[in-house]
Amino acid sequence: MSESLEQLFVKQLKDNQNIIHKICRLYTTGEDAHKDLFQEVTIQLWKAFPKFRGESKFSTWAYRVALNTAITLYRKSTRSISTVDYESKSYFISQEDYNTEEEEQLKLMYKAVHQLNDIEKALIFMYLEDKDYTEISETLGISEVNARVKMNRIKGKLKKILNP
Amino acid sequence: MMKELDLLKKDWKKETNTFEQLSESEIYKMIHKHSSSLVKWILIISIVEFIVLNGISLCISDKNIEKFLALHPYLNIINYLNYIVVIGFIVVFYKKYKAISVLDSSKILIEQIITTRRVVNYYIFWNVLIGGFFGAFGAIDGFNNAYSEDHGVNPIKEYIVILFIVPLIMVFIWGFYKLLYGSLLNKLNKNYKELMKIDL
Repeated sequence: MSESLEQLFVKQLKDNQNIIHKICRLYTTGEDAHKDLFQEVTIQLWKAFPKFRGESKFSTWAYRVALNTAITLYRKSTRSISTVDYESKSYFISQEDYNTEEEEQLKLMYKAVHQLNDIEKALIFMYLEDKDYTEISETLGISEVNARVKMNRIKGKLKKILNP
Repeated sequence: MMKELDLLKKDWKKETNTFEQLSESEIYKMIHKHSSSLVKWILIISIVEFIVLNGISLCISDKNIEKFLALHPYLNIINYLNYIVVIGFIVVFYKKYKAISVLDSSKILIEQIITTRRVVNYYIFWNVLIGGFFGAFGAIDGFNNAYSEDHGVNPIKEYIVILFIVPLIMVFIWGFYKLLYGSLLNKLNKNYKELMKIDL
């Protein structure tokens, strides 16, 4: 029984791993920290998996656990803001679709997002994943109206970082 | 601004294949590793605290304590009360710990972790209180003894030592806790404050 549950979990996680990779990239800098957070998220997901009843999609369920792990449970220090990683890593593989100006803008945008605090990153993540404000407010435990207000402030903050 | 965000969103959606993909066997290995989460650390540290505190009281409970308690029989009541309170603390701690769920909203999750931690802090506070209470009785005994029979011990000197040493030890313990939980709960408190700020 538990063996098959394990198999089911591993398969689902493998198919949905990008959502966790995205959160790891948002919250960590460097490959080691990325792997570390991924590992912790995986353990938390596995521990919570018996409570997953398939009412929602696995990915929807997983991103919440992953965000909570990044915001509250993960213990390694991720404070240091490193900008080197974005320059050197192959984060921009889809280059051919952009002109250089756009590419440059994207780079700056990623850098700016990385400078936000943990909660702001969570909001931006859900925004980029097209989550509605009901879901954002439920995930973080804040009111919908305030989630909206905060999102607008984050946009303003990003603007400020980009155009100081 | 919206233009840049749209650009980011477009890229965000597109680059799903740029991450190094983990195989099933790698994920298998991962789920059999131990968690290093904050909650786990809080549990470990709390258990160590319970053991150390109770270990100390077990080590101290020698014949002198028995004699001391025989001198003050009413202290026995407090002693028994203490056992009940300690068991109560352990039960509450266990319940709080079990209630921590990664599936809750971030705010509730953080609140649960903080209250779980607070239970242990109260436990330690209670122990210091009880210890101080018994210590005070001990000191009074010592003071009376020193006066009634001339041991050659200067009671004033004894009091001065207690007056300086005890606060020093307390400051040391406080500093130790500040350091220990400061690093442990720093991020949590910060994120909690941020969430509270949004919901003002």
